[in-house]
Amino acid sequence: MKKTLSLLLATGMVAGTLAGCGTTATSSSAAESTATSTAESTASATADSATADAGLAADITMWTYPIGKFKDAETVDGIVKSFQEKNPGVNIKVEYLDYTNGDDQVTSAIEANTTPDIIMEGPERLVSNWGAKGKMVDLSDLWTAEAKADINATSASIEAACKAADGAYYEYPLCMTTHCMAINKEMFEAADALQYINEDGTWTTENFGKALQALKDSGIDTTGVVYCGGQGGDQGTRALVNNLYSGKFTDDAHTAYTADSDANKKGLQQLVDWCGAGLLSFDTAAVASDELQLFANGTIAMTFCWNASNQATYAESVTFTPMPVAFPSDDGKPELCGGIWGFGVFNNGDDAKAAAAKAFIQYICDDATQGPASVQLTGFFPVRASYGDVYAGTEDEARMAAFSAYMQYLGDYYNVTPGWAEQRTAWWNMLQQIFTGTSVEDASATYAAACATAIEAAK
Amino acid sequence: MGNGKSTLMAGQKPTVFNNAIVRQQTISAYLFLLPAMVFFVGFVVIPMVMCLATSFFNYSMGKPFEFIGLNNYLEMFKDQVFLKSLRNTFVLVAVAVPTVTAFSLWVSCAIYQMHAIKRSFFRCVFYLPVVTGTVAVAVVWKWMFNKYTGLLNYILNATGILNENVSWLGDAKTALWCIILILFTTSIGQPIVLYVAALGNVDPSLIDAGQVDGATPFQVFWHIKWPQIMPTTLYILVITTINSFQCYALIQLLTSGGPDNSTSTIMYYIYYEAFKLYRYGYGNAMGVILAIIIALLSALQFKVTGSGATD
Amino acid sequence: METKKSLITPGTVLTNIVLALLSVFFIFPLYWIITGSFKDPIAVNASPPVWFPTEPTLDNYVRLLSNPAMKWLWNSVLLSVVAMALTCLTAAMAGYVLAKKRFVGQKVIFSIMICAMALPKQVILVPLLKEMSALGLHDTLWGVILPTVGWPFGIFLMKQFSETIPTEMLEAARIDGAGETRTFVDIVLPMVKPGLGALAIFTFINSWNDYFLQLIMLNSSRNLTISLGIAKLQAEMSNDFGLIMAGAALAAIPIITVFLMFQKYFTQGIAMGAVKG
Repeated sequence: MKKTLSLLLATGMVAGTLAGCGTTATSSSAAESTATSTAESTASATADSATADAGLAADITMWTYPIGKFKDAETVDGIVKSFQEKNPGVNIKVEYLDYTNGDDQVTSAIEANTTPDIIMEGPERLVSNWGAKGKMVDLSDLWTAEAKADINATSASIEAACKAADGAYYEYPLCMTTHCMAINKEMFEAADALQYINEDGTWTTENFGKALQALKDSGIDTTGVVYCGGQGGDQGTRALVNNLYSGKFTDDAHTAYTADSDANKKGLQQLVDWCGAGLLSFDTAAVASDELQLFANGTIAMTFCWNASNQATYAESVTFTPMPVAFPSDDGKPELCGGIWGFGVFNNGDDAKAAAAKAFIQYICDDATQGPASVQLTGFFPVRASYGDVYAGTEDEARMAAFSAYMQYLGDYYNVTPGWAEQRTAWWNMLQQIFTGTSVEDASATYAAACATAIEAAK
Repeated sequence: MGNGKSTLMAGQKPTVFNNAIVRQQTISAYLFLLPAMVFFVGFVVIPMVMCLATSFFNYSMGKPFEFIGLNNYLEMFKDQVFLKSLRNTFVLVAVAVPTVTAFSLWVSCAIYQMHAIKRSFFRCVFYLPVVTGTVAVAVVWKWMFNKYTGLLNYILNATGILNENVSWLGDAKTALWCIILILFTTSIGQPIVLYVAALGNVDPSLIDAGQVDGATPFQVFWHIKWPQIMPTTLYILVITTINSFQCYALIQLLTSGGPDNSTSTIMYYIYYEAFKLYRYGYGNAMGVILAIIIALLSALQFKVTGSGATD
Repeated sequence: METKKSLITPGTVLTNIVLALLSVFFIFPLYWIITGSFKDPIAVNASPPVWFPTEPTLDNYVRLLSNPAMKWLWNSVLLSVVAMALTCLTAAMAGYVLAKKRFVGQKVIFSIMICAMALPKQVILVPLLKEMSALGLHDTLWGVILPTVGWPFGIFLMKQFSETIPTEMLEAARIDGAGETRTFVDIVLPMVKPGLGALAIFTFINSWNDYFLQLIMLNSSRNLTISLGIAKLQAEMSNDFGLIMAGAALAAIPIITVFLMFQKYFTQGIAMGAVKG
């Protein structure tokens, strides 16, 4: 069949060329591959003579999701250049993904065997998705005793998140943050609602309710919007529901989703009640980006999807003071969702490439000068405790300090629980149901059943 | 699907239809078909066979590839989301196909006799949503339907028709209709182009003759124009049916199948299972079922409209 | 085509009013995109809406062109033009023989094509990926072009148009001693030209808009198309509508050009023949 196929294809290409069109496409790509191979041979030639640095020689590709400035070619090119000065044998091509289509592109690359060597994202993709499906290289050699000690000094949950069930490490982390919420400070001031927020940015569920009432009384039509039109920014709604009555999202062993626990059901019911009373609003067609736009426009008084990076993004377009606050919690002690970002290596069956990829990762994350600089580019906080405050002395120092205060509330990183993708869909479907008339009891039972099926299927 | 007899008309000479000529005709016909067949077989038929074959396997990323017989097909009919998607798909097709066809026919009848410039103008206008591109059209419509800042709520509230904000895409009662409306605007461009052309080709002497005989405009349309544009109608029906069945980009961009799966179509669900959950085998099985449904429906359209066609 | 002067009746007046209203409805999205592309971030998100940019800015276009938007546009044009040309040529040849020749296997081939049209394209994407990867064509424009040309819509359409070619003309050409190729070039092609115009537009626009096939087949930035580029501009957390609309406006220019270029063919009048297997 293959023979027939290639024959057919050959005929097709001839027909294509005969038709006199598109020859540019073929010839240019052919030219390109020649160019690369020449570059490769010269590069490896220089590598042999000029450098002794482990003799690394490979052409590797890195794909990054838009994490802080890692979405800008100028920034990343700078890192690549400084790495190549030390490792002239390594050529690195970088492609930039987006969150809307990135996953589909990685999926198709996996099926077409055109995966990059390095990928930058978090454990929910690197470890529990592609790692668990056997597509990634074990990075345990990067996790030296020194690295483990340094990273564990920040939080033990980071190592746990980067390690798969089989003990392999599929991610080497660079930075982290906690996701919080933000309020429109001027609106809260005008409504005399700032009194309900503690000095340290935490607040109780009871005070949150009072603040909503105060905002409403001051004439604000829509205080906040619980968005559930898709999975974008769902960490915000998860943290909101969990914290209201100190519920847990999963069990401690990460083997079951527990949105149907009593505490969580109470939290869900509370949201429905607030919406019913007109104190809060919901939009079953919106995702976090829509809600953020409303917040940035000054239409609503708070957003449930905030972190240092979002603040940097929206800083220019807002005309008010967005103030980061924790999620309200009945005991006043919030547990915030964490984001961990780092690098993974796809298993392309080429040791030279894997070695070069690891060296590059190590350079980005662990190099004494590049490491802290890389963290700064992400706009988040270092996973390595020894880096200290990487923003000290920069113009961002004060702004970042406001966020680093919330790092102490970092909760469990449950995103590595099996069946995660199915869970995410079930979650926003459940929220849609409870806001459109289904009882919390029934909706959470449906959610739990869907998750149980997914976990079973993942085994 | 019809038979070949009708084209073997008076002009042909059946007596010289001997084997040599048949062979020679067949060879030259295949030479003409060859370029199209290379692409068709290489990039449609072969993947399709692979798709059919893998629908009998547990074909998922990161799982062993194993034969599971009809299990994918059996699972499908117990899958509530699939059944709901099937229903939504039927609603969408049942509404979109007749309205698109009827509306484009009406517009074409209204504009085909207009002055050339005016005709071009309208043809262009109704083609604009196609030209604009799905992603951009979806962005604009998403804004129009927005609960808090959308144009629709703004107008309805300003005119006093509504006094609350409705989440048009977020309400199970309205979401599917919003999708159908957008699908409608992006679907009528092509039929109008074809209908205007077909109506322009109706023999004017027949129409004159009808008018001389005192036929009403409706009679002229029904007895003279309608039979002549029948082949075009059939083509439009088939194409619109296939396109409506395969509607999914709008859903992905606007609702992700929600709320509560009220806008999930089979096509969207296939995308979700294959590209979000990596269950290719299951997705392929659903695709095969969908193909069978579309093929049956197309055949039905051929039968129903084909019987009334004049050659 | 001759235009008849008809009397102004209440019916035609009403029709014109309804058509005018509908036009507003159909023009609005493009109007909104074009005006939106000249608005600043505040105006583009304003509620109540700003109907017309009071302080038009080119900022969105400047930012758009800081991306390789022209390269994206070029890729889109290249792949759509190649797909269009190949489709028109192969479909015209195949449609002609399917309509006008008798040969062994004709019915089977046509039936398979009709069935193939029914199968949703998305389903064959993963097998296509495997195939393109085996051929080394993944992440090249050919990965998008080849399946587009293979899709049998064009053959179906051209077969319908070719049915209307009078058999006598073909007979006459044969008696004059014209070979198959000459008959095709001199008689068939001119007769199906209006149909080819329609097919060219449809193929161009469909391959231009076939965003998902492009998404999974292309992944390096030098191969991105404008549709993918617009999608890329929508970062997850920021809805930069002005920029997206500038991209959409830029993307619409080539398609509108193609539409206006080819639509003159329709004025000659085209018709389809009955569907026969």
